[in-house]
Amino acid sequence: MINLKIINNIKLKKSSKFLILLLASMLIAAANAFVFYSLSMVSTITTATTGVWFVKGLDNVTAGVSLSPDNTSAVLTGLLAYPNASFTYTDPLRVRNNGSILHQIRLSPVTLSGNDTEFVYVKFLLRNGTSETSETLVSLEYNCSGSDWTVPSATGWVQIPASTEYAITVVTKARDSAASASVTIEIAVDVQ
Amino acid sequence: MLLPELFALLSSDLFLLLSLLTCLLEERFPKAIPYVYQVAALMGFGHLLVSKMFLTVFDEDLRFWYNFFYLAVGLANVVAVNLYLAVSKKTWVLAKVWSASVTFPTVFISIFFVYNYGYLQGATFPLLTVDLILILSVAILGIAVAVLLSPKLLRRR
Repeated sequence: MINLKIINNIKLKKSSKFLILLLASMLIAAANAFVFYSLSMVSTITTATTGVWFVKGLDNVTAGVSLSPDNTSAVLTGLLAYPNASFTYTDPLRVRNNGSILHQIRLSPVTLSGNDTEFVYVKFLLRNGTSETSETLVSLEYNCSGSDWTVPSATGWVQIPASTEYAITVVTKARDSAASASVTIEIAVDVQ
Repeated sequence: MLLPELFALLSSDLFLLLSLLTCLLEERFPKAIPYVYQVAALMGFGHLLVSKMFLTVFDEDLRFWYNFFYLAVGLANVVAVNLYLAVSKKTWVLAKVWSASVTFPTVFISIFFVYNYGYLQGATFPLLTVDLILILSVAILGIAVAVLLSPKLLRRR
């Protein structure tokens, strides 16, 4: 009530009061608009299911393939490399585009560890289909000179249509009279 | 997509409008009223700030209800000023002008936004409410046409 009495006692012309209120109103309206605009700019991110994932191929048992529960990572523990002989796992693992739109995928290297003297190469081929005659679209080739590995750069992007599976073929070869050794290679299938 | 904070923005602007109009008509209102409405508009700013700060904490239902409540308070004030002019001050002409130029536009714009928000959220409204709004719209249209054809109706007896 004291404040109201103070306001009553202030003698201001009507035009001055209106001007003050108008300026205050413009300030409040502008501040409101600014906060509302910044509020409408706040993004809400929701989780989504992946449209591209791994599925086991026909040679999955031989290659020792195990998939994560959501099929977004795969581990191949049964791959062997024979001395002076190229050995091919034609269809151990597949990439499936389970979505309704076309995606682009590529193979890219992540990490490499282990022996670097007993192998000749390990190749990962992305093939246009799952049959033995399917052509190779891109390949990621790890070559070993006998003293060091040559890590390849990422492949180019290839298109994978909706509801389609492409096989990842693995080709291995060990050095002639190779001793017991192992190498662990991690690669990624990039999707966009 | 409409945000529920739109109601707070709308209501805050309503309070600012009331503040300016009551200042212009200061001889008919208590002198503190324009300033009270400015403070009420500032509370709308507070609503928006709270929504922004706690956007991830408050769910949309909660945000809708406190913003809608603030809008309802704003509209109630518009109607209350209209009734004050008509009943307490007995300034019928001014009350009618206020009703046509402030009360009905603000109420209908608010109903439009609330329905639009509800529609976008997938809410279903009772058929009776829609019917009442349609009847009210037809009634207002009828009165407007009658006044247009016969302006004498507006003259005070």
